[in-house]
Amino acid sequence: MGFLNPWFLGGLIAVGLPIWLHLLKRHKTDPQPFPSLMFFEHREQSSVQHRRLDYILLFLLRLLMLVLLALLFAGPYINRLTAKGAGKKLLVVAVDRSFSMRTKEGTSTRLDDAKAEALNVLSKLPPGQPAQVVALGDTLQAMTQQTTDPGELRGAVSAIKESDARASFGELSRYLRTLTESTKTPLDVHLVSDLQKSGMPPGFTDVRLDQDTDITFHPIGKVQPNWAVETVIAPQHVYDPKRVRISATVTGFSAPAATRTVTLLMNGKTIQSKSVTVPENGRGSAEFTGLDQASYGFNRCEIRIDSADGLPADDRYAFSVERTDPKKVLFMDDGRRQDAQQFFRAALNATDDAAFQLEVLRPEVAATSDLSKYAVVVLNDLGSLPPGLDSSLQKYVTNGGSLLEAIGPGSAVALPRVPVLDEAIDGTSYASREGERFFTVSDVDTGHDVMKNVERFDGVKIYLAVNVGTAKSRVLARLSNGKPLVLERKVGEGKVLVFTSDFGAANNDLPRHYAWVPFVQKSVAYLGGGGSTEQPTNLAVGEYVELRTGNEKGAQAEVQDPDGQRVLSLEEAAQARNFELTREGFYEVRTAGGKRSLVAAHANRKESDLAVIPQETLDLWKATGSSGPVNASGQGTGSEGNTTPWSLSPFILLVLLGVALAESVVADRYLRPQAQPQETKAA
Amino acid sequence: MLQRFLDPSVLAGISGLDLVAKTVVDGFISGLHRSPDFGFSQEFAEYRMYSPGDDLRHVDWNVFARSEKMFLKRYRGETNCQVSVLLDASRSMKYGSRGMEKMEYAKFLAASICYLAHLQRDAAGLIVFDSEVRQFVPPSTRQGQIMRLLHGIDSAQTGAETVLEKPFAHLVDYLRRRGLVVAISDFWENPETVIKTVGPLRSRGNELILFHVLDPQEIQPKLRGPVLLEDLESGAKMEVSPDYVSHEYKGKMSAHLEDMKSRAAGANIDYFMVDTSRPLDEALRQYLAIRAGRL
Repeated sequence: MGFLNPWFLGGLIAVGLPIWLHLLKRHKTDPQPFPSLMFFEHREQSSVQHRRLDYILLFLLRLLMLVLLALLFAGPYINRLTAKGAGKKLLVVAVDRSFSMRTKEGTSTRLDDAKAEALNVLSKLPPGQPAQVVALGDTLQAMTQQTTDPGELRGAVSAIKESDARASFGELSRYLRTLTESTKTPLDVHLVSDLQKSGMPPGFTDVRLDQDTDITFHPIGKVQPNWAVETVIAPQHVYDPKRVRISATVTGFSAPAATRTVTLLMNGKTIQSKSVTVPENGRGSAEFTGLDQASYGFNRCEIRIDSADGLPADDRYAFSVERTDPKKVLFMDDGRRQDAQQFFRAALNATDDAAFQLEVLRPEVAATSDLSKYAVVVLNDLGSLPPGLDSSLQKYVTNGGSLLEAIGPGSAVALPRVPVLDEAIDGTSYASREGERFFTVSDVDTGHDVMKNVERFDGVKIYLAVNVGTAKSRVLARLSNGKPLVLERKVGEGKVLVFTSDFGAANNDLPRHYAWVPFVQKSVAYLGGGGSTEQPTNLAVGEYVELRTGNEKGAQAEVQDPDGQRVLSLEEAAQARNFELTREGFYEVRTAGGKRSLVAAHANRKESDLAVIPQETLDLWKATGSSGPVNASGQGTGSEGNTTPWSLSPFILLVLLGVALAESVVADRYLRPQAQPQETKAA
Repeated sequence: MLQRFLDPSVLAGISGLDLVAKTVVDGFISGLHRSPDFGFSQEFAEYRMYSPGDDLRHVDWNVFARSEKMFLKRYRGETNCQVSVLLDASRSMKYGSRGMEKMEYAKFLAASICYLAHLQRDAAGLIVFDSEVRQFVPPSTRQGQIMRLLHGIDSAQTGAETVLEKPFAHLVDYLRRRGLVVAISDFWENPETVIKTVGPLRSRGNELILFHVLDPQEIQPKLRGPVLLEDLESGAKMEVSPDYVSHEYKGKMSAHLEDMKSRAAGANIDYFMVDTSRPLDEALRQYLAIRAGRL
């Protein structure tokens, strides 16, 4: 037993107070004078005896209260043996099966060595001691429940297979903390791993262990040089094979300078090869241009290097490209402003991938054309629309088409409302030469895809803008006079984007401004279904593929793994929103919305860095779980017994409350007669 | 406002006994102007037909001038009485629980009565007694009598225990002329003994008023716990409990007071219990009611 604040025991001096009150003061029985005792009798001796009894009880209660108070402040505790001290431990064998465990060490891989070491640990397991086997990746997989059956444990170790996931020691520590909390049992953890430095979380506190956890490290493998294809930058879609540009970065981890041959393969055929010089512990890049062999549809591509190192799995980097025709963009021009068409075309053709192809039609012709074959329709201040075009546009957008409208002064005069957007037109805002001369853009929704890279339209001068209502629309940009400049509205399955000035250079200088190109490209990409709105198809293992956005009720999604097997159950196909990529290779995905894609998954390249966690870090990690010193080999002193302080304050507080209550009752009984005469007087 | 100065604790702060008496009585008299019940001093009482031998100085000549009949004017104050104040100075009178001893209160009361008698031209006298007669100031209306009385009262000291029989036996010798006898005491004695002792004074034609001076703590003691009490007169000690005091003592005390009152009434003695926490004018009012009604 001990005290957290022993100096508070000095409060026991206060015990002298009741001693003085009850014992010393009691002896001062000065007689009180009274005129005559003729009405008193001698039988009152019993009252004195009663008073003494009362005093002794009150004295003891007050004495006890002071002692308890002093004890309470002193914070008494007793050392209690924990379960660990009682000898009950749970052995946890964690076997690393991350991507780096594929590294060859001689004739076997690191995973083979790890499994052998795990079996060696289990062979020393005392009979009757519970144990558990877990496999470590980016998540923990319990291979067994807690069991004392050595056969089951050995079988679990043998069943561990290599994976493409990255190791996460933070996840391991989190699992161990949860296990300690739930089982209330100290853990004896044996981590069999190559102890990659990249497996440590950013914050050291994430690997903190509970005090009753003793971890022992079993390092597997040695540091060896490794070259890997770290990144590949390739377009997701190929519209013009000649303009395709693919770049690959080759990195050497703990490796000397070397020259590596980088090969581009597509659908199993070698397309191009290049030599890259990789400096010591540095990076080299290779660039491939032209992808003429790409066939229409999805193409399985791969960048490969000849590293001849211990981890050949990271010498390949899979990616997919889809060859398709450019999407058509219809630009309706009545011929009054030729410059607008030229500006728009120039901006659209400035892209690398030439994803969109511009067609120009007069409104009268377009009114009778089939608009559904166009990804985007652009109206540039047409004024009054030819008969049938309005309804045709309405139907096109409702069915999923996209419309980009420039509402200039011609539309302001001829139209009461903006076509399809259905917002009222209320005159124009004209910046006169005598007044403000021009408007600027003051408020931009930079979070929207269309407004990215437009640099907030900085420096753009708007001389004339049409005042469009905003009752149903979302405003993406406003002018300095508060009027909207860019509006968006979803109509049916489609989208409408409105620019409240025209695309010519007469009423604004946007086409001559550097913000014009990104504005046009982002707008068309946003409306036409490309760019950042599209789901990426080149992902790392452990990342997720989106299968549905929530609107496709009851529609089935479908995923085929690299072996061509369907991996979704019926329930998952109907309800799952995401799918986790668990291994390298190509996944054929059909989302609930019907969109097909070929997703290429590659192992996280952090696994390619085989650098090991420094011994000091391991010692610190181990020290978080053990209060005892760490020996030179980095192993703890074991669990010879452990005690934890157990505070007695709550119990003392309870007793103190009871004593205080008793003291109040006794004191009340003692003081009661003094109130009685007052009651008599009142009566 | 004036009532505040009649509070015993306030009067105790006044140094001179004459000043205390003057304060009490003057204030009290001025308050009586609104009261028609009490008339005293040289007030007109009635007319009486002249009889031969009557003093012609008392004939109302104004009435004779109008009616040619002779009437004599009679005044109430024409007859002075002798007032004797018997002041108990036994040790039990030394008790006081509110910062004022019973003896002090009794002195104020005696001084006030003497001063009041002096104002009415009554012959006032004083007898201070305990087990013996300690002081005696014969009743007189001479100049300086009031000062002698006040000096006698002021110099009275508590002495031995109360033994009523002994001093009262001698008092009869001192009171030769019939008058008003005012006895001020705490009467810690059996009521039967008290009445039997003071009864002879009444039988000689005296009007007897008993002022029973008691401290509130005597009437209704308030004890915070069991205490050791010491008899002021005998020196005996006894431990008593609050329970006993609040029940049995209270009953015995009430019976004692009731017995005193009934026995005094039976002996045609005016009895008035004075609580030292009460203002002095209450006792004076009692005195004047008797003085105006009987004499």
